[in-house]
Amino acid sequence: MNTENKIVTAGIVDDDDIFTYGFKKSAAIKNLFNKVLNFGDGREAIEYLKDPRNTNHLPDVLFVDINMPVMNGWEFIDAFQKIQSQLGKNIPVYIISSSIDLEDVKRAKNNTLIVDYLLKPIDKLYLKDIYDSLQNQTYMRRYN
Amino acid sequence: MSFSEDHKFSGESIAHFARIIDSIHLGIWEYNTDTRQVKWSSGFYTALGYAPGEIECSYNYFFEHLLYYHDKPAFLKATYHPRHGGSPVAHIRLLTKQHGYQWFESTTQKHDTNDGPVIYGVLANINTLKINEIKAAENEFRCAEIGRIAKIGSWEIETATMKLVLTQEVYDIFELSSQVKMTIEEAISFFEPQFRPVMTNAIEQAVKFCKPYELEVLFRTARNNVIWVRAKGVPVLDSYGRCTTIRGVFQDIDSIKKKGITLQSSINLLDDQNKRLQNFAYIVSHNLRSHAGNLKFMVNLFEESNLDGDRTEVFSHIKTISESLSSTVGHLDEIVKIQSEISNERKVVSFDTIFNNVASALRTNIVSTGAKIHTDFSACPQIDYIPAYMESIFQNLLTNSLKYKHPDREPVINCSTQKAGNEVYLLFEDNGVGIDMPRYGDQLFGMYKTFHRNSDSKGIGLFITRNQVEALGGSIQVDSTVNVGTKFTVRLV
Repeated sequence: MNTENKIVTAGIVDDDDIFTYGFKKSAAIKNLFNKVLNFGDGREAIEYLKDPRNTNHLPDVLFVDINMPVMNGWEFIDAFQKIQSQLGKNIPVYIISSSIDLEDVKRAKNNTLIVDYLLKPIDKLYLKDIYDSLQNQTYMRRYN
Repeated sequence: MSFSEDHKFSGESIAHFARIIDSIHLGIWEYNTDTRQVKWSSGFYTALGYAPGEIECSYNYFFEHLLYYHDKPAFLKATYHPRHGGSPVAHIRLLTKQHGYQWFESTTQKHDTNDGPVIYGVLANINTLKINEIKAAENEFRCAEIGRIAKIGSWEIETATMKLVLTQEVYDIFELSSQVKMTIEEAISFFEPQFRPVMTNAIEQAVKFCKPYELEVLFRTARNNVIWVRAKGVPVLDSYGRCTTIRGVFQDIDSIKKKGITLQSSINLLDDQNKRLQNFAYIVSHNLRSHAGNLKFMVNLFEESNLDGDRTEVFSHIKTISESLSSTVGHLDEIVKIQSEISNERKVVSFDTIFNNVASALRTNIVSTGAKIHTDFSACPQIDYIPAYMESIFQNLLTNSLKYKHPDREPVINCSTQKAGNEVYLLFEDNGVGIDMPRYGDQLFGMYKTFHRNSDSKGIGLFITRNQVEALGGSIQVDSTVNVGTKFTVRLV
């Protein structure tokens, strides 16, 4: 690994604890993402992002699930769109879901905020590509 | 030369008449009833297509060979008609030389002469007229029959007088026994109230703007039957483009319309079921995929991690996934069971008995939450239902109320039945946390939809409840206010 690598923090918004655990564990093993923040649903994530105390601890990338209680992925995207300009940081958003509902896929493609739609189980090589792209500020799109 | 002098014809003019009469194929005959002597004019022969003298001139020949057997009674009746009051007329068929039987009008008159009573008669060929008349009558009959069979009648409004004329078939649709005269307003009053302004407006527009219309509306007949009818009106214009008459048809389309309505509701039902099935397929695939994905993920991690501690944790997750998988499959079983149990026999079930069974199974939860449960099934103590469904409905509603109790107070649950006509309602009300209806209302009965961060929310209970209720033809509704409580209204039948 290049020692000049930037510190990259990922935010994962998913109510699936096992997936979150696996994501963190696998990131640690592969040396991807120096830090992983996890939020159980959209609302938790929005509250964290909005909190001025967290201004310096914002994630560099967000992975958002669709099916979540309280505030689901789509509701989160809407809320995120509203606060995005106040964050002072451009955070790319990836959808990660088990949903193969074409409506969901279409909706993601039509939303410019969403960089890509990733189907679970997550492809580790692609995750590495995303991590690398964040190093040089070009956003990975594979499926678009 | 004049035909007559002092209203009497001269001998010369009579001969002239005879020539005229003969040449227009008018047959004249006379018959002495005493002597049985018969005389035919030459026109008589030519009217039948014969030369004078070509056939035997006798009463017998006429009666047996010329007159159509079916017309004999009519001829006799007209000929031997009492002397008084005009000359009787009969329409009879006579056999002509070349054209078969043809229609003739027979006019007769009796005179008493010195030689005895004589009957004079005139025969005129009316075949073309008669055939047209018969055809016209046939057409009219056919028209009326078509109208009767198609349940379609016609009507006319003369715009100058706004007088309404209806055919018999329209009266039949109105179920009026006699052809009473009706004003437009009276006719419109037969339509169901919500359609009266529509009809009035359509007729007005037709008169004023020459706008045709075609409407399908509900109509109440004189015998109080409510039926669907099609009312179609077309303005008839004069050369100035003004509407002089509105002509229209009026048709009973009740059976077609009702079939259409039934069909539409079946389509809606199918559509609904189809959407639900598709949704179900997506959800199942989503859940199976997420478990399968996690399982693969964990197995890989298990292989990749070297530390025993990590491996133990990963393995504990694998165990959780395995449990989740089997519970997802269990939910699938339950949903499939709804469909297979629908054919099970319905039995008379007592609300009280089933509720108590469910409540005693949930006793631990009821005691630990301190819930107060009030039931009142007196309005409808029992129902014909599938017992397993009823049990499951109570179980899901009660479990929900206990699970989503308000953190600041003990649950109070009211459960009762209500009867409205043939319908039976089950009301289930609690004072729990409630559901944000504007946000989640439409997803409430969806599969795996959870709205609270509650560890044992599975999002399966209400999905199953709705499927059971709907499988037996009922429906389920919910009213809820956050922090106040939730009320389910279940129409069971």
